[in-house]
Amino acid sequence: MKYALFPGCVLEGAAAEAYTSLKKVCEAIGLEIEEIQNWTCCGASHAQGVSDLASLAVNARNISIAENLGLPILTVCNTCTLQLRMAKYRLDHDTALKARVNGILKEAGHPYEYKGTSEITHFLWLLDQHPELFEGKVTGALAGMKVAGYYGCHILRPHEVMNYEEGEHPESLERLIRRLGAEPVWFDASRKCCGFHAQFGAEHDVMTVTGQIAASAARADASLVVTPCPLCQMQLDMYGPEGREAVHSDTEMPILHLQQLVGLAIGMSKEDVGFNRHVTGQSKLKIG
Amino acid sequence: MSNEISRRTFIKGAAAAGVVLSASGCFSWNGRNIPEKVRRGDVTYDVLIIGSGGAGMRAALAAAGNKDRKVAVMTKLVPTRSASTMAQGGMNGVTGLTDPTDSIESHAFDTIKGGDYLCDQDAVEYFAERAGKNIFEMDYMGYPYNRQEDGHFHSRKMGGHSHPRAAYFEDRAGHAMVHTLFEQCLDKGIDFISECQMLEISMAGDKLAGVIAMDMRTGNFIGIPAKTVLIATGGYGRAYWVRTSNPYSSTGDGIVAGMKVGIPFKDPEMVQFHPTGLSVNGVLLSESSRSEGAILLNKNRERFMEKYAPEKKELATRDIVARSIATEIEEGRGVGEGLTAGVYLDFTHIPAERIHERLGQVYDLSKRFAGVDITKEPVLISPTCHYSMGGLEMADFHTGETRVPGIYTAGECSCVSVHGANRLGANSLSEVLVFGHTAGDGAAAYAKGHPYEGSQDQLAKDCAKWKDHFDEVTTRPHEGNRTVPEIRDAMVQTMWFKAGVFRNGPQLEEAAKELAKHEEDYKKCYVGDPSHVYNTAFEQYVELGNLLQISHAIVQGAIARKESRGGHTRRDFPKRDDANFLKHTLIFKDETGYRAEYKDVVITKYPPKERKY
Amino acid sequence: MQATLNIHRFVDGKKWVQTYKVEVQTGMTILGALTEIKEKQDPTLSFACSCRSSICGACATRVNGNAELSCEVLVEGLMKRYRSEELTIEPLGNFRVIRDLVVDWDPKYARIKKIRPVVHPKDEFSAEKGCLQSPADFNKYKKLAGCILCGSCVSECNKNALNEDDFLDPFAFVKALKIATDTRDKDAKDHVKAAIDAGLWACFNCQECTAKCPKGLDPAGAIEKLKALSFQYKLDDNVGARHAKAIYDDIQESGTLDESKLNIKSEGFLAAGLRLPMALRLMNVGKMNPMEKHPVNPEIKTIDAVVKAAEAAEKEEV
Repeated sequence: MKYALFPGCVLEGAAAEAYTSLKKVCEAIGLEIEEIQNWTCCGASHAQGVSDLASLAVNARNISIAENLGLPILTVCNTCTLQLRMAKYRLDHDTALKARVNGILKEAGHPYEYKGTSEITHFLWLLDQHPELFEGKVTGALAGMKVAGYYGCHILRPHEVMNYEEGEHPESLERLIRRLGAEPVWFDASRKCCGFHAQFGAEHDVMTVTGQIAASAARADASLVVTPCPLCQMQLDMYGPEGREAVHSDTEMPILHLQQLVGLAIGMSKEDVGFNRHVTGQSKLKIG
Repeated sequence: MSNEISRRTFIKGAAAAGVVLSASGCFSWNGRNIPEKVRRGDVTYDVLIIGSGGAGMRAALAAAGNKDRKVAVMTKLVPTRSASTMAQGGMNGVTGLTDPTDSIESHAFDTIKGGDYLCDQDAVEYFAERAGKNIFEMDYMGYPYNRQEDGHFHSRKMGGHSHPRAAYFEDRAGHAMVHTLFEQCLDKGIDFISECQMLEISMAGDKLAGVIAMDMRTGNFIGIPAKTVLIATGGYGRAYWVRTSNPYSSTGDGIVAGMKVGIPFKDPEMVQFHPTGLSVNGVLLSESSRSEGAILLNKNRERFMEKYAPEKKELATRDIVARSIATEIEEGRGVGEGLTAGVYLDFTHIPAERIHERLGQVYDLSKRFAGVDITKEPVLISPTCHYSMGGLEMADFHTGETRVPGIYTAGECSCVSVHGANRLGANSLSEVLVFGHTAGDGAAAYAKGHPYEGSQDQLAKDCAKWKDHFDEVTTRPHEGNRTVPEIRDAMVQTMWFKAGVFRNGPQLEEAAKELAKHEEDYKKCYVGDPSHVYNTAFEQYVELGNLLQISHAIVQGAIARKESRGGHTRRDFPKRDDANFLKHTLIFKDETGYRAEYKDVVITKYPPKERKY
Repeated sequence: MQATLNIHRFVDGKKWVQTYKVEVQTGMTILGALTEIKEKQDPTLSFACSCRSSICGACATRVNGNAELSCEVLVEGLMKRYRSEELTIEPLGNFRVIRDLVVDWDPKYARIKKIRPVVHPKDEFSAEKGCLQSPADFNKYKKLAGCILCGSCVSECNKNALNEDDFLDPFAFVKALKIATDTRDKDAKDHVKAAIDAGLWACFNCQECTAKCPKGLDPAGAIEKLKALSFQYKLDDNVGARHAKAIYDDIQESGTLDESKLNIKSEGFLAAGLRLPMALRLMNVGKMNPMEKHPVNPEIKTIDAVVKAAEAAEKEEV
């Protein structure tokens, strides 16, 4: 099984542990990934607010490179997935728009046109559809552990574009947690927004919700939170101290990238998955 | 165990099983549904409009044209929930934009012919002259009209019209109208008195005092003084309850309040039945079903329209198709029984792609409510009450006034008469605009020239009366008394089967007797909710009381009109009878009961002819 | 088939959850179930409804945490979605509750007023002769005119849930965009400015509003379009706009985000300086290295050309 990987900016920067752990996990489960060459930022859900067409064209370029490789696209970030899938959705449903965007790519000297031949999937969905990839390798390291699956927003919404499962009632993350040998817990913030994209527009509110999400998981008796989105992870982890302050809580909650949890489940150590790079919950993670 | 006891036991059990949580601070609220000055009692409105649909809001904008005037719109819901939002087709008016050959005369004639010559022709001329102007005005207010290549709004042709003259927004013409008018009202700072159920118009002797209403949020009874009251409360289709396409709110509240102060209910028997309502709940399947080729079949799968209208078949006019369906059901060739009996509307010969492309909403509604995929099997339909041509008599269509000084009316609750015995498609929204505008101006002019002559004492007295009534009604025991929904369901049985699509003398007489019985039951009915906060059980009790009076008037009007015309079909008098009935029914109500009078139809230049399409 | 409905009640200061059972019939919507309960089991249950044809917007409620038009969704369908015979029904979120499922709309109308919700027609138009607009220009805003003010979009709005004072309801932004893109209007810039003043840049971009709209509108997309208009009208002197522009510029200049400089670009040196403790914390775990030079995409010339060509094409359209 081989995918063209769209890593996204933060995997090259602040969330580098998400990239290293992804590479290790993919190798361990036999999933071949090839990074899309010279990809650019997806727009991070902000660029379309400056110029919609530019943001669309940039993503058409990203997708077209994978199409040229003849590979489906794999992402590990909710927002990247949404931006790429949204671009694909719009281009596939509007031939005039597609022609216009291809005109722009051509004019700029980009060698490939957007065709619409590569599917775009998220790491969570891929694992959910192919449990055979890891099932024999689960060691039981997570046995008895209560894990809060935090979806975030862009992997679920808008439903029309992110239509892998029922957006009002997703279950893929819980299913995966169970298959990895842990126990999923239900907590009321599982589909809330971490506020990452409004860091600058509504800072106080974002810190409050950051604290609320960790507190909600703690109330549900979870010992860690796992999320399929590195942006959510960064928000909940890096801003953990501010979040706790905002809601007057002292609950520290380890916040794991999805691939880190998979790594731990198949026998990797905390160091293997880069947990030492986390800000929050260093002393709280009792596995690996 | 009797049914009633088991029900009560269930309620108690359920309440006990419920987890009682403490009320938290976040649930406190300070209602701004009523302007502070109304609560304080220190405002006398120049124009107090009841009803926030198209007519009410258009009237408010007209009345508030002069900033000195104090204008308010009262609604039992909040401003954008009215029946007007449901109108689909458009609003007629001669503008000459899409079809330069159209003329005011043509619009007037189509309307008069469509109304089976029961229209007052001077009123129709006034209407046709102004409809176009009002449509242009809506453009200036921001109505999102569909456009044609030259940039003007586009008009389409509706059934019964000889020219395209209905301007529209997609298939949601009414929705767009209501929201455009609401934007304007917000911008102009019109007072809204929301979530107040009007109970009656208060009179101090023969002088208007104001309106008595229940503030749904507090349960307070409030008397609002006003120099003029403009009734724009919409139609009365809910007299047929599940067999109507109207919203739950179309309960004729304003008509009943008007009758109580001496305004006659004009042509109440004139009710329009649309042929294709879903059998299960009366929701309308659009006219386009038939124009796209759907056919009607009875239980033996016979295409019965071949018998009733050999040429046009399913494409015959609404009233003919509705009567044909009703005949099939009556004669035992329908499917199912009672209120939900129907015939098949069959789309299966139409390619599925075309159904999805052109009849998306019909597909969705059938699937949702009847569980039927119309691309695979036919769906059960039967006629559904769609529009009320009758209403409060408008005494002067130049001003919107009624025969009671200070009281005005506009919209579906009024009878101008523009629609006569049958309304044409897309004339309702234009009526709402034209006469909302006219009545708003008329009421404002009256208020300018007259002092407030009512009395606050009278308002207080009426409020106290309603408060006592509330206390008595809401604390009645269940035992031995019928519930509001039970009486309502009985009323519908009476109205649908004895005063519905077909009528005849003996059945109508029975209907009158049954209604009298329902009214007796109503006097001691069980409401079951003593709370003062948002008591919708009491509100429904009030609405049922109104519907029972409306039903009486319909039946009285139908008994007296011994002919068939437009929406009124007597089996015992199947022909139109211009010699005896080219006149309007006026139903008055007083302590002694209902009384009918007649008023001649105004004919100008369109002599009655046989109505043929 | 029977359904169990756990309905959040709130009457006269008391709040509780009450359980009802209804027999599910073909075509039974949530509104149908509520009506049946009110008529046959408990007359005190209160809720709002009017047209029962999904156009008046009166009956939106929340089922299992998600806003729905109760006249439109089938009980059976929801039981299937949630794989349960038990459903929880609550009033819409981010509204004050009056009683049971009835919520308070008044504050919402006051909020709509903030965006100056009415078309100001251009001087060449008149009430007598109406306005002119091409079908293409009509198409630009027609979808936005389909809002029924049901309130579903704000029910799960993550920003509103935290603080509604510095942000509007998504439907208000939809209205602002509708008017700002209506070519009959002469004051588009004013409506955009009003939207910015009312909190445009505080949107979390969580997409809940778009997911919940029963009429298929895209309020989250409307917010993004208003943002793009704010750049067109040069109303971009605020931290949210600078942040979006910084990201956009990063794509054009290097291809990817330069995290270490985003703060400075968005907030300016001084304010960013206040974030020093945060920066130190990140450097401490190796998440940030200000010394490291941000790499530049080898195809940056092409990327820059793509952005410029798109901008030029966009301008042409305006």
